[in-house]
Amino acid sequence: MTETRSGFHQQLDVIQRDLLRVAARVAETVMRGTEALLDLDLLAARALIDGDGEIDALAFDVEERCFTALARQQPMGGDMRALVTALHLSSEIERSGDLMVNVAKATSHLFGSEIPPQLRGLLQAMSTEAVRLHRLAMDAYAEQDANLAAALDDIDDRLDQLHKDYIQAILELHADVPDVHVAVQLALIGRYYERIGDHAVNIGERVRYMVTGWLPEYESSARYAVRSQAPLESELR
Amino acid sequence: MCDRIECEGAGGISADLGCTRPTIVALHSRVDQMGIRVDENLERMLDGLRGVEHPLAVAIRTNDEIDRMLISLTYGCYELLEQGTVAAPDLRFVLSAMGIIPELDRVGHLALGVVNLVRENPQLARSGPVRDVVLATANDAVELFRTSLRAWSLQDLGLAAELTVGTCRLDLYLGRLVVELRRLRGPHADRVARSTFAAGRALERIADHSATIGRRLQYLLAGDPMHLTSAIECGAR
Repeated sequence: MTETRSGFHQQLDVIQRDLLRVAARVAETVMRGTEALLDLDLLAARALIDGDGEIDALAFDVEERCFTALARQQPMGGDMRALVTALHLSSEIERSGDLMVNVAKATSHLFGSEIPPQLRGLLQAMSTEAVRLHRLAMDAYAEQDANLAAALDDIDDRLDQLHKDYIQAILELHADVPDVHVAVQLALIGRYYERIGDHAVNIGERVRYMVTGWLPEYESSARYAVRSQAPLESELR
Repeated sequence: MCDRIECEGAGGISADLGCTRPTIVALHSRVDQMGIRVDENLERMLDGLRGVEHPLAVAIRTNDEIDRMLISLTYGCYELLEQGTVAAPDLRFVLSAMGIIPELDRVGHLALGVVNLVRENPQLARSGPVRDVVLATANDAVELFRTSLRAWSLQDLGLAAELTVGTCRLDLYLGRLVVELRRLRGPHADRVARSTFAAGRALERIADHSATIGRRLQYLLAGDPMHLTSAIECGAR
């Protein structure tokens, strides 16, 4: 029995380590994708698109191993939460990689145009902030830090604000971005960075649940229970 | 007939030992019900954008109920898994449900967010080219969500696949929105642009969450790892 559990924990450790590796690849992708965008480097953008298959395969492999471990090992309590969290995190991480593929595709559509300096600065800032959030989310996962995980939603406000400033700048820069097609591509790109922040927040929520077994929706759920006079405990145990 | 052992804690899902089929059916139906509650708030959101007001308290109460369902179902699924009686195909189903439940919850929150936004910025519901684009985006986003609910209810692979490409339309609306917002002039142009963009962003996220439900279903129904490679192909058009 002890050997089986120990084998399970080894499996879980390997899954967590591989998940952190995939996440590190995605962080690199965000930085390289931003460089390619700002330099309008089509070869680098192409390489990023081609490299996404590898990230997808790694994420899929993690998912399958989680599934197999769940089916064979029947973990309990915290172990179960850790495995289900890993399963869902692989999907969140992989989507962040996909969003950079979209940035790379948009880069090729922008070829021949110029990105105004104000927007370049904001794009760089959004990229830096997105990477920071993504890494903090994975730090929270690696360290099982529920406080950091819970703080990600507030930390994401900075990226949200940068995104708002960026969109405002696109709308104001009529003279610098006269081509509507270019303005639309730039708006889409901003959205992709902002979404990477959202995925980081989602990761934070999952990590928080993994560590504490607490969901942020508990308060509103309790409010509903009071209003509807149906004690929450009766449904939750 | 199976020997049923009721498990009150399982989010209202009665759990069996030795026969989990009825439990899986109950889980399916409870997720359907959660989707219906989300849809009710989406309908309120659409009404708000059309200029029809509903009491905000009703939308908030529905959202609290959605949160309660999220908690109840999440805990229920964990308890179900911990019983160790779920067969492999059903295990994939339960894990998919656990992935879909938070997506439904987030759509509910986004719908409530737009309802609030329209109340605070009544100009969003005033007819004009900007409102038309926002309303068209909202209609499409809600339609995508409803398709995702049908796909889940019917476990329909075709519908699930439709969702992955369906989000492309939302990018076109973003383009139209940028065009219309660049035309805005006057002292309130900034404020209108900011609130409109916030609404547009929430609507796009609703569509994204619907697409994520589609991808999870594809994986469940076809065991298709291609759900990972479906980076939003339309993203950079």
